[in-house]
Amino acid sequence: MEKKGDLLFSIFLILVAGYAALSASQWSFKTGFFPLVIAIPLIVLTIVHLVLEFFGGAEKANGPAVEAEFTTDVEPAVARRRAIETFSWIAGFILLVFLLGFPPAVPLFMISYLTIQSRTGWLQSTVLTAGAWGFFYFLFQRLLNLQFETGVIQTWMGL
Amino acid sequence: MEAFIDGLFLVLQWKAFSLMMVGMAVGFVVGLLPGIGGAATLALMIPFVFKMSPVEAFAFLLGMHSVAATTGDITSILFGVPGEGLSAATVVDGYPMAKRGEAGRALGAALMSSLVGALIGALTLALAIPIVRPLVLTFGSPELFMLSVIGIACITSLSGLSLRAQLRGFAMGLLGLLLSTIGQERQSGSLRFDMGLMYLWEGLDLVPVLVGIFAIPELVDLAVRGTSIAGDKLPTNLSSGVMEGIKDTFRHFWLVFRCSAVGVFVGIMPGAGGGVAQWMAYAHAVQSAKNAKEREQFGKGDVRGVLGPGAANNSKEGGDLIPTIAFGVPGSGAMAILLGAFMIMGLIPGPDMLTKHLTVTYSMVWTLAIANIITVLLSLAVLNHLAKLTYIRGGLIIPFVLLLVFVGSYTANNHIADLVVTFCFGLLGYIMVRLGWPRPPLVLGFVLGKLVETYLFISVSRYGFAWLSQPLVLLLIGIMVVVIVYPFVREKPAWAGGGD
Repeated sequence: MEKKGDLLFSIFLILVAGYAALSASQWSFKTGFFPLVIAIPLIVLTIVHLVLEFFGGAEKANGPAVEAEFTTDVEPAVARRRAIETFSWIAGFILLVFLLGFPPAVPLFMISYLTIQSRTGWLQSTVLTAGAWGFFYFLFQRLLNLQFETGVIQTWMGL
Repeated sequence: MEAFIDGLFLVLQWKAFSLMMVGMAVGFVVGLLPGIGGAATLALMIPFVFKMSPVEAFAFLLGMHSVAATTGDITSILFGVPGEGLSAATVVDGYPMAKRGEAGRALGAALMSSLVGALIGALTLALAIPIVRPLVLTFGSPELFMLSVIGIACITSLSGLSLRAQLRGFAMGLLGLLLSTIGQERQSGSLRFDMGLMYLWEGLDLVPVLVGIFAIPELVDLAVRGTSIAGDKLPTNLSSGVMEGIKDTFRHFWLVFRCSAVGVFVGIMPGAGGGVAQWMAYAHAVQSAKNAKEREQFGKGDVRGVLGPGAANNSKEGGDLIPTIAFGVPGSGAMAILLGAFMIMGLIPGPDMLTKHLTVTYSMVWTLAIANIITVLLSLAVLNHLAKLTYIRGGLIIPFVLLLVFVGSYTANNHIADLVVTFCFGLLGYIMVRLGWPRPPLVLGFVLGKLVETYLFISVSRYGFAWLSQPLVLLLIGIMVVVIVYPFVREKPAWAGGGD
C-alpha cells in the first residue's frame, strides 16, 4: 500500500515537473529559466528515488528526521474512513462559504459538525455554536473589520 | 550611555507605556489567531499612529509586533496550527509534545526561549548598529542567493540519513521553489502557470499554503484518533511542566544562544524574513544532536526543536530592525510597513537615527525588551489554563480550529480561492506525511523561492557566471557542501549500512 502510494505520488511529481518544464521551455529565457532549472532536477531526483524504491532493496535508515508522524493506534480501515469523513466536512464547509458566505456558513457548519459528527447533545451544540458565532462576529467582523464576500445564493437572489 | 538610559525613561512614561500595553494586548490576540500575522496587523494599526509622538508610536507598534511573534508559538504547540504566519517550525516538535501530554513543558520552553531570544536580539540591536554597516554592504545579490540556497540545503539535509530520504527532501525543496514561480514573473511581468485564473496572477499566498499544509493534516489526524489532543494522558503536572520547560531553556542555554544568533543574522539580511530564521534555527538544533538516535527524537517531540525556533523567532526582531534603522533597508515585510511609520513620524532612517534621534532608537530597544518580559510573565500566569485546552475532546475542538484556520486563510486575499488553496495543501500535506515525504523543505523552498529567483537573476544579469568565482560565494558554497555532507560523515556507520 505504502509503495503503491509512493509510486502514485512520484508519478504526480513527475507530471507536475514535466508540465512545468514543457511550459517553461516555450517561454522567453528570462521567464522560463528559473522554472526550467528547478523542474528538470525535480524530475531526475524523483525518477532516481522511484528506481531506488523499487529496485534498491529495503530502506534501513528510515523516515524523515524533521517530520510529524500520524497515529498508528487506529485500525487502517477505520483511520481511512475517518480521514475521508473529515476531508469531506472541510470540503462541505468551503462549499457552504461559497454558497452562503462566511457569516451564515459558520453557525450552520458548527451546529452540523457538533451534532452529526461529534455526536454532541443539542443543548451543548447550540451553546458552543452561539459562542463560536459570537467570537467570529465580534472579533473578525466588528473589531478587525474583515470584509467577507457574500455567497453566490445571495448574489443570485440580488440580496 | 545617557541616550540609552533616556530611551528607557521615554518608554516608561505613562502614555508611551500605556500605548505599548494596548499594542501588546492586540498583538497577543493576533498572535494566537492562525494566519493573521503581525505584519498584516502592523499595516492595520499604522493609521492610529498619526497623532502619536515617535516614541509612543514605536512603543505601540513594536510592542504589538514583538508580542505577536511570541504568542504565535502558543497556537502552534497546542493545536498544531501555526498561530503566526511564519511560526510553523515550532509545530514540528511542539505539537507532538502536546500530544504526549507535555503541552505545559513545550509552552514554558517556547516562551522562555522567546524571551531570551528577544533580549539577545534587543541587546544586539543596541550594540550592533554602528558596526553592522560593513557586513550588510559586503553581501551583494550573489551572496544573498547563496545564503538562501544554504537555508534550503540546511532543512533538506535533515530529511533523514538515507539517500532516499535525502532525495525526498531535495525533491520537496525543489517543489516548493517551483510553486513559488506561479504568477507574474517580476522582471518581465509575464504570467507563469496561472491556468487562466486571475487569482494566481499574484502567485500563491504564503498563509493558505502554510496553514493548509501544517494545520489540516494535524486536524485530520486528531479526528482519526478520536481523542483529545493529549490523547489519554492525564492532565497532571502542568505547573511542573511549565517549570520544566523554563529549566530546559537554561539546560540548553548554549543552543538557545546560538539559535538567537541565527535569528539575529537572518534578520539583518534584507528580505529573508522570520520564517527562514525559524527553520534555519530548527535545522541548527537538529544538527546539534550528538548522534542518530538523539536526532530521531526530532519531529517526535524533542524540546530542543521548540527552543531553537522560539529563540530565533524573537531574536530576529532585533536583527530585522538593524538594517531598517541604520540604512532604511527593511529586513522583512513587517519592517517595510514599519518604515512607513518612520516616514509618518518624519524620521529618516540612516545616520540621523544614530545621532540626532539616538534616544528614539534606544527606546525601540527597550520596547522590544520590556514588551517581551511582560508578555512572557503574563503568559506564564495563564499557561496552565491554556494547556488544559489539549484535554478537551477532539470532536469539540476540531470545528473551532477549522473556523480559525479558514478565516485566517481567507484574510490572505479575501477570496474563496484562499480556502480552496488551503484545502488542496491540506490534502497534499496529509499525503506527504502518510508517505514519509517531508513538508519543511517544501515550505522553505516556497518561502524563499521569489528571493532566490530575484537574487539569481540580478547575479546573472550583472556578473554573468563570474559571480560563481567570487571569494565569498565560494566560501558559502563550501558551507553548503558541509551542511549537506556533515550529517552523513558524522553518522557514517548508520548510513553506510543503510541499504541505499
